[in-house]
Amino acid sequence: MNTLPQQLANGLLLGSMYGLIAIGYTMVYGIVQLINFAHGEIFMTGAFGALTVYFYILPGGTSMWAAVPLMLVGGGIVAILVAVGAERFAYRPLRQAPRLAPLITAIGLSLALQEVVRNFYPGADKARAFPSLDTTHDLGSVTIKDADIFLIVAAAVCMSALAWFVRKSRTGRAMQATAQDPDTAQLMGIDTNRIIVVAFAIGGFFAAVAAVSYGLKYGNIDYRMGFLMGLKAFTAAVLGGIGNIYGAMLGGLVLGIAETMAATYINNIPGMQQLGGQSWANVWAFCLLILVLLLRPQGLLGERVADRA
Amino acid sequence: MTETTKTPDTPGTPSADAVIAPDRQGLIPLPAAAARALTLVGGIATVASTFLAWTWTADFPGDLTVYGYPGGLQWLTLVGGALVALFALAGYGVRGLGWLAPAGPTGPAVLTALGALGVTWYTVIAIAVELGGLVNLEPGGYVAAVASLTTVIGAFGLPAGADETRRAKEAFTAYLKAHGRSRLRLAIAGVKFLNAYIGKPDHIAAPQTVPGWLQRLAVTAVTMAGLGIFSYGIDIPSEEGETFIGYLVVIVFAVWALHTAGLLDRFSRLVAAHRGFALAMGFVAAILFPFTQTDDHYANIGVNILIFGTVALGLNIVVGLAGLLDLGYVAFLGVGAYTAALVSGSEFSKFSGVQFPFWAAALTGAAASLVFGVLIGAPTLRLRGDYLAIVTLGFGEIFRIAVNNMDGVSGPDITNGPNGIPSIPDLSFFGFNFGTAHDLGGFTIGRFANYYLLMVLIMAIVVLVYTRAADSRIGRSWIAIREDETAATAMGINGFRVKLIAFALGATLAGLAGTVSAHVTYSVVPNPYQFAGAAPPNSAFLLAAVVLGGMGTVAGPLLGAALLYLLPEKLVFLQDKSLLAFGVALILLMRFRPEGIIANRRRQLEFHETGQLDVPQQTTLTDEPAVTKAGA
Repeated sequence: MNTLPQQLANGLLLGSMYGLIAIGYTMVYGIVQLINFAHGEIFMTGAFGALTVYFYILPGGTSMWAAVPLMLVGGGIVAILVAVGAERFAYRPLRQAPRLAPLITAIGLSLALQEVVRNFYPGADKARAFPSLDTTHDLGSVTIKDADIFLIVAAAVCMSALAWFVRKSRTGRAMQATAQDPDTAQLMGIDTNRIIVVAFAIGGFFAAVAAVSYGLKYGNIDYRMGFLMGLKAFTAAVLGGIGNIYGAMLGGLVLGIAETMAATYINNIPGMQQLGGQSWANVWAFCLLILVLLLRPQGLLGERVADRA
Repeated sequence: MTETTKTPDTPGTPSADAVIAPDRQGLIPLPAAAARALTLVGGIATVASTFLAWTWTADFPGDLTVYGYPGGLQWLTLVGGALVALFALAGYGVRGLGWLAPAGPTGPAVLTALGALGVTWYTVIAIAVELGGLVNLEPGGYVAAVASLTTVIGAFGLPAGADETRRAKEAFTAYLKAHGRSRLRLAIAGVKFLNAYIGKPDHIAAPQTVPGWLQRLAVTAVTMAGLGIFSYGIDIPSEEGETFIGYLVVIVFAVWALHTAGLLDRFSRLVAAHRGFALAMGFVAAILFPFTQTDDHYANIGVNILIFGTVALGLNIVVGLAGLLDLGYVAFLGVGAYTAALVSGSEFSKFSGVQFPFWAAALTGAAASLVFGVLIGAPTLRLRGDYLAIVTLGFGEIFRIAVNNMDGVSGPDITNGPNGIPSIPDLSFFGFNFGTAHDLGGFTIGRFANYYLLMVLIMAIVVLVYTRAADSRIGRSWIAIREDETAATAMGINGFRVKLIAFALGATLAGLAGTVSAHVTYSVVPNPYQFAGAAPPNSAFLLAAVVLGGMGTVAGPLLGAALLYLLPEKLVFLQDKSLLAFGVALILLMRFRPEGIIANRRRQLEFHETGQLDVPQQTTLTDEPAVTKAGA
């Protein structure tokens, strides 16, 4: 049986998830040139927010049709609060500081968020079960789950909404202006602080959408899930061209597909028999990142930008 | 360095005068003579109280039940009380004590009094809480509590320095003007007034010139005292977390008091004048450390701190000097350790037939790290600094995943996977076996002490490389790049080349430390080489050590490493929350004191964004650290 279509679908799904998280990195980076290293943890808190809604707020036996939207809302609120709070209390005071300062703050924030969840969320020191959507559908040679359908629809809706928002809405255009030149944008009457908050909030919400899909797809979440996912989503953002929201989505898809292909097929290459499989997938993802940085540092869709330091 | 004292006329609005006592009087309105006496008597009484029993049972750590002999926390209270008494005596102008407080004895007296109060009351409360009630206190405990409180009252009655009072008043008035009046506001303004006590005055009288041998003697004495204090801290058993907290309280307040007294400034000037000598004394103190220990377990802590500190110092080249954020630094330590393990002749190594002599293994380990450093650095260092952070983070993860997988089942058979490479043989130089204890002039030097001494040697190499590199043309280029890459490039610095040198040098030093650490721990396993974990070394801890200690200084990362290693080791109850604490600490540090405990002057100015004109008059722009601590 030909496994290629199935692997492509898997890669596409994984890639949509990376893309959703990568939006958060790329929007914030595009506007304030800051790698919000804690974004992976915002993704993680979104998952725990959704879990809280399901287990502690909704009555048992709620239909998933009703539960999933409410979980999205709950996860979204938590992720947005964390993201905006981080911006307000950790990053904003450092906006004029040397570059190293906010990066170190971000690492501290990332550690602190992980540890807060591990120490204070009931049962979070181990993986916690998440309601999953496991009904499968066969489409030709491809088998997908309900959770996959949710993910792909959610990703498509979010991305189109974001594209519309950035292009057409007033705030979106202000955002573009701020990304191009924050000082001039401010002179033109744009409240750049508000724009930055909006960027953090959108990133947080998209991360929460990705987090709910992650939970529904894999059926469990843990406090460390944000670390690797965040890292790979950042890889995706760089791959697509950091600062470019279409690039983030494209980068996510490319990374997802490349990773899945590498995990499945690389051991067919003579001499690399033992380097395939899931355990090496992350290694190949990072090799891809290093390759991209070597060959096309501005990313697939990025333009070469002058150093603004 | 002389300076004319300014005597500006302070208008001091009536509203401020109503709250703050007039010039040259303390916060608590006492006659100066009474305040001084109260402080002195309180200090002496605090000392005396430690010779009484504080509780009836030896259940409380440190045995505080003996009359006539202080134990555990009582020793710390004694030190605190003695310091207050000394500063109070200096306030009386006792001959021969003037050198104690060149900047006036009031600030130090207040701070040491607060420290003594802190440690005493902490002890008393801990006794009451842990043993269940105040009944467990013997009279000695009450005496100590009252005595230390008296001291603080007396100290706050002491006249604050004129300069500081004026400054506090200005701050106070300005604050009230800006924010209006309310009870809360008054409280906040009152806190600002405390600055009058604990702030270091701008003007410190120039020291008398003393002969060079005396200066060297002072450096030696301070270093040896540092060694003693450090050994005391290490020797506090892990079960006595209370004692360690008291130790930290006393140290923090004592160092703060010395800073306020102007002694730290004097000492750092002394060190600057005798740089080589001070460095040598630091190493002598480091070498002497194992001879002060009776138990090899403490030498083990020492060697681990040294490994951790050496790696932190290597990271400091990358982060502190060149301004490159490396988040996977521990992987280079891992590369060195694994390389050394593979060629160590361990029977579990893939190349078990090969046994390199240590110098060759060390070179191989360092070289392997260098290769990886260049491989990672070359593609990323051409780009903006942020990419490096992420790529190094990715590399750190790849390293761990790869060594975890290379067990012959899910990858090539090289590293034994999660089992790692155990039973690495001990080193042996010219017939000197590191694995066995040796007797040396009446002292027994155990296994860990052997490695400790080897590590001191490696540390010396790293410090040498660090200081030589930092003072060289390359080092100046690093700093230029760190501060403004565009400008530095415009001045003709090849940014990429210079950054790559920093990155590769940092990687090499970590690899070198890794080769020793493989032998110290008998085995290498993938697990410690991760980004964040509960125990050092891992990349997050290393970064925290550098940032906490002070980026760009030699003593900073060593102090940071010692602190970060000792805190989880001694405060066992903290274990679970230590990472949380470090995360929060990193955020707060970046917000309020980004230059770390030991500040590099240049770095301090850079972080606080002062314009050229705001540079305080007395400070000159040198690379000398503002505060230098030797022997740590």
